[in-house]
Amino acid sequence: MSALPSLARAVSMALVLMASSADAEALRRFALVAGNDEGGAGTRPLRFARDDARKMHALLQRLGGVAPADAKLLLNEDARDFLAALSELEQRARAARERGERTALFVYYSGHAKDGALRLGETRLAFDDLKRRLADAPSDIRIAILDSCRSGAMTRTKGARRAPAFDIESGAGRDARGLVILTSSAADEDSQESDALAGSYFSHHLTSGLLGDADRSGDGRVTLFEAYSHAYARTVADTAASTAGPQHPTFSYDLAGNGDLVLTDLRASSGGLVVPGAAPGGTYYFVDPGGLVVAELDKAADVERRVALAPGTYRVKRRLPDRLRIGEVEVRRGQQAVLQESRLQDAPFSDDPVKGALPSGGGGAWWTVGLSGGVQSYFDAPTRDALFLSVGMVGAEAQLHDYFRRDWVWGVDAATGSRRAVLMLPSLSGPAYRYAMTSVGTTLTSEWPLGRVAPFLGARVAWLHMRRDFEDAAFPDQTFAMFSPGVVAGVRWNPLSRLHLTARARAHYLLYNVDAQRSLGFWELGALVTYQP
Amino acid sequence: MRHLPVLCLCLALAACGGDFSNDDLEFLNALPRREDLAAKLPQKGQGRSGGGLTTRAAGLVVRLGETSELMGDTEETGRAFNAGVDALLSLLEDIRSLPPTTREPDRREWGPYRAPNHPGFDVRFVMTREASSFDYRLEYRRTGGGEAGWWAFLSGTFEADAGIRKGVGSLHLDVERSEQEGLPASDLRTLRRLGIQYQTKALPTRVELTFTPRDGAFPVSRYTYREAQGSLGEMHFLLPGQDLVPGGLLEDLSLTTRWAPDGRGMAVLDVVSGDIRGAKYTECWDAQGRVTFTARSWDFFNPTEGERSTCPDFSALDG
Repeated sequence: MSALPSLARAVSMALVLMASSADAEALRRFALVAGNDEGGAGTRPLRFARDDARKMHALLQRLGGVAPADAKLLLNEDARDFLAALSELEQRARAARERGERTALFVYYSGHAKDGALRLGETRLAFDDLKRRLADAPSDIRIAILDSCRSGAMTRTKGARRAPAFDIESGAGRDARGLVILTSSAADEDSQESDALAGSYFSHHLTSGLLGDADRSGDGRVTLFEAYSHAYARTVADTAASTAGPQHPTFSYDLAGNGDLVLTDLRASSGGLVVPGAAPGGTYYFVDPGGLVVAELDKAADVERRVALAPGTYRVKRRLPDRLRIGEVEVRRGQQAVLQESRLQDAPFSDDPVKGALPSGGGGAWWTVGLSGGVQSYFDAPTRDALFLSVGMVGAEAQLHDYFRRDWVWGVDAATGSRRAVLMLPSLSGPAYRYAMTSVGTTLTSEWPLGRVAPFLGARVAWLHMRRDFEDAAFPDQTFAMFSPGVVAGVRWNPLSRLHLTARARAHYLLYNVDAQRSLGFWELGALVTYQP
Repeated sequence: MRHLPVLCLCLALAACGGDFSNDDLEFLNALPRREDLAAKLPQKGQGRSGGGLTTRAAGLVVRLGETSELMGDTEETGRAFNAGVDALLSLLEDIRSLPPTTREPDRREWGPYRAPNHPGFDVRFVMTREASSFDYRLEYRRTGGGEAGWWAFLSGTFEADAGIRKGVGSLHLDVERSEQEGLPASDLRTLRRLGIQYQTKALPTRVELTFTPRDGAFPVSRYTYREAQGSLGEMHFLLPGQDLVPGGLLEDLSLTTRWAPDGRGMAVLDVVSGDIRGAKYTECWDAQGRVTFTARSWDFFNPTEGERSTCPDFSALDG
């Protein structure tokens, strides 16, 4: 593509930028966002690649000028799906160009990479193939951001830098064309994830920057190079002391024409949060109800800054040498919230609202305990009428989240229920009795977090104990106990930072073997309120 | 500690299974209980006593206000009746407390066990079902005997009619066979057979106890107890060879007594044979057991004494 030495390209690019201006409105933007926790043989599953992709996908639609119909999100899908989705976007971009529109194609990938290829599960996509594909894509600007180990190999052959090459300018220019590739690490480095951030360092700082922290010019727009230089600096700083060593993002560009590219327009959202100039300088952290830092802001004194937070309630933290300043702010849709320093309070470090920073975080795993209520009923009508009755239950439950694997939940539960009934059998009717059911179970589920809501699906094994006590002493009290396998599905909602509400359904199999061998099934519907200590 | 999960799993596995069975309950429902078949005797009022016909010195010379001796006969006979019921049903009581040893779709078996009070014998209890009809047998055999060695000491049937032990049934003890097999029933050695037939599906309920003597030692005796709405009771039985009136013959009597829960009652005595064959004597008594009314069919001059209206209403037992 270009034979210019990298330094010369940097100089020429700087000149271009000095004379250029970001222009988000003139571009029709397409985005392919992929996250894959699995890297196939020889790799360990990642914990946050899909989360990184979800965040980027949502951010590009909300602030990046990408229409929902022009954005594709792939989670744990393979290379074939990736290329198919890319082809579809290319076709749409080609059609848009034919209509005279300028287009930009944005490709983001978070996941494994190894031996010169992206590793999407058991499938691979070679860097060279991807680069060639992007180079040939029918779009004016192609931007690839790869957050994966050794992704720097993608940029090594051309224009790779270990530091931002550009000063941030806000000139007036247009019509940039070409290919930009950003990677999260150099060709010989691993990309690192953070439990405290619930994401990779690079993607976290990139998205945080796109929300406003990278807007050094203060014009309410975050350009590609603002975002990159911000992510670079913060990633290197955060990983410098890690056991894996510092991680250096890289970039490659092959741009012609005039123009920097605005990635996010903070003004696109009429909401968000303003930190007024009068607020003290320092680094502000914005923490969601789940205890995760969604954005940071490095604020200088007497400078007003804006963070394009999505509507919601956030805890705000500013760290001082000897204490924290903590408060809460609510960002409402369509309204701009203003952070009032007077609403922040001093707090010891032990009250850090960031989940990963708490001593009990345990490397990302966390516990909940709760109370449940529900109803159990057998599918077979004669069974639920005269043998194992439909019964309401109350119980207690403990869950361990993210211990075995990210988004996996292991739970143990106990529940009991009882009711009075009258036995009605063909040759015997009338004995009154109390039916009681007790269950002790363990469940393993996988969750798919979507903001505050997390659908889940999993398996459960329970030990059931049924009993009936007759009022007439002529009839003996009877018991039955058996293990019962089943499946469970539901959704967990996280309305407050430490409170979770869960609605779920279970279906179980039960082998009954007293009168005869019979296969029975029952369902349970229930609700669970859990507290995260 | 590392074996704790395995230990817990083993304990849980061992706790699997149980006796939660509707069929078991239906089988058990086919077995009568004492309270279903025993006579519910009248309350014993203050100052009440009775000597019975056998201790009667002056035949049927009864004055109003005297304690009714027929009432005493009723209570005494009722206790004897209940003792006979107990003799039969006590053999079934243990079955209720034990889960079946073998369950098949229409069959339950308890045992075999070593007979606890009969060394050298095995015992088992077998129940079978066909639709709503149940048969049951308490069987013995000499220890080591084969399947053909079982013989039934107690046999019974029950036709269920829903409800709790509601239906029609019968059971009997084969005392004679027991003697033949070398398993003497010491309390019943004067009998060849003791049987009960009953219906409990509708009021008035009916229980008939039959004593069949060995070698004709005494006539076959039948005691019939009925119970109607309001806990009204009735006992009917025969009293052979009673010297009721002066004359050359003894009288065979048929006695029907009825009573209310508060102790009031009425007796009707029919002379089946003897010097005054065909005669009928009726007597009513109050809650204290004092005679309030008498009627003698053979007494031309004083056929009745007292007011018939003092007799309780036992129409629920008619028919």
